[in-house]
Amino acid sequence: MLKLMKYEFRKTQATKLMILAITAIAEVAFLIGLYGKHDTTAALSIAALVFLATFGILIVGLESIVTLHRDMNTKQSYMLFMTPNSSYKILGSKVLECSLSILIAGAFFFALGTLDITLAFAKEVGLKSLWETIQDVLRNISINGRPLEINARALASFTFTLLTSWILTLTTAYLSIVISAALLNGKRFNGFVSFIFFLLLNWGCTKVLRLATSHVPTSTSVSIPLLVSCCVALVLSVIMYIITAQIMERKLSV
Amino acid sequence: MLESKELTKVFGSVRAVDHVSVRLEPGHVYALLGPNGSGKTTWMKMAAGLIKPTSGQMLYNDAPVGIESRREVAYMSTEPYFYTWMIIKDVGRYYDDFFEDFSMERYQSLLARMELREDMKTKTLSSGMMAKLKIAVTMARDAKVYMLDEPFNGIDLLARDEIRACILQFAAYNKILLLSSHLVEEMEAVADRALFIKQGQLVESVDLETMRMTMGVSMADRYRQIYGHTEVQNNA
Repeated sequence: MLKLMKYEFRKTQATKLMILAITAIAEVAFLIGLYGKHDTTAALSIAALVFLATFGILIVGLESIVTLHRDMNTKQSYMLFMTPNSSYKILGSKVLECSLSILIAGAFFFALGTLDITLAFAKEVGLKSLWETIQDVLRNISINGRPLEINARALASFTFTLLTSWILTLTTAYLSIVISAALLNGKRFNGFVSFIFFLLLNWGCTKVLRLATSHVPTSTSVSIPLLVSCCVALVLSVIMYIITAQIMERKLSV
Repeated sequence: MLESKELTKVFGSVRAVDHVSVRLEPGHVYALLGPNGSGKTTWMKMAAGLIKPTSGQMLYNDAPVGIESRREVAYMSTEPYFYTWMIIKDVGRYYDDFFEDFSMERYQSLLARMELREDMKTKTLSSGMMAKLKIAVTMARDAKVYMLDEPFNGIDLLARDEIRACILQFAAYNKILLLSSHLVEEMEAVADRALFIKQGQLVESVDLETMRMTMGVSMADRYRQIYGHTEVQNNA
């Protein structure tokens, strides 16, 4: 499995390195702007960093989907399906590699953002003022009439929610691509058909998630509906994964 | 032992392989012959587990082909299939990571013999170089079964001699070697058994020496006898 994951990483390595390189350039520009008193440079680099943090993670996830599509519909598929690995392993390595990449990218951009905000406030108004500002902002945010609490637990539950929702999107996309590849076998409009399958499956998943969380009382705690939603998303992901691997094992010709 | 039983593959309205039953035994070099579109490649891909049959069975050592058979069956496709980001060294590493029977030493020696450098990018290789690379990485495995689809395609005479020598060097008494090609004369010098496929059906499976003795014809003559009429019809 680790070897398969290594090659999944290699396939998407170039894009990841490119995102990293552009982020490094934007970060250097931000530091020059901050400490060199170049306001325009600082503003532009902040905009670039926010853009990269938002779309960088999205690109990492999307590229994994594009890679599977290529693995199913080009002769490169032989490289995977000639090896003595089951479809469960092949698919599992893709899901794990992509989830880890998204997690690492998210942690990286979160750490970079925290560092940059800290540096900016330390430079301009001092760290004490930064802490007071954050507390003010948090006091003004409330969910269901309760003030938002930011602590390790809340942060972990937020990360877990995002990750499970991404894993569900990923496994839904994988199933759409594999169904389309098994049915159409590299014919025209394969990508379009995959997209239609994805929309249908995604619509079904959203319905199930809404149904599951609709019975949870929202007034108890913010984290309970989130937890239910995460668990349902994980169960749906496992179902998608098993169906996809079974189709690959029994029906898919490459 | 590699065996297909009533193996059939249908693509839409095309019956690519039609109820083919054949048994390949160790210690022989088989030539899989037939014109374009006769079903050779589809049969091989089903043996490699890349294509799922519509009906019938493909067995390796009496079990359906799958993960276990892939450990012992080395398949070389006629199309290039390496990842475009790979250099020749990466191709060897990839095989080394996934196939226990792969020998990096043998791979490097075959590369040297084929005049290929490890730092060459696979996406910039000429068709002849790509053919040599595919042979080198496939024959660097100590597999029980080698299936080479059109190994002589698109390469010059001297390179063809080199490839033929490489293939025969690793063919042994306990191995099955299956080669498909249009170049019947090339195959005559290599194979000892021949499978003639026509329009997806197995027409004949023969021991070449016996055929020469009893029928007094070479493999190329027999090829002309089997496919000649069809080709005349097509040309007309």
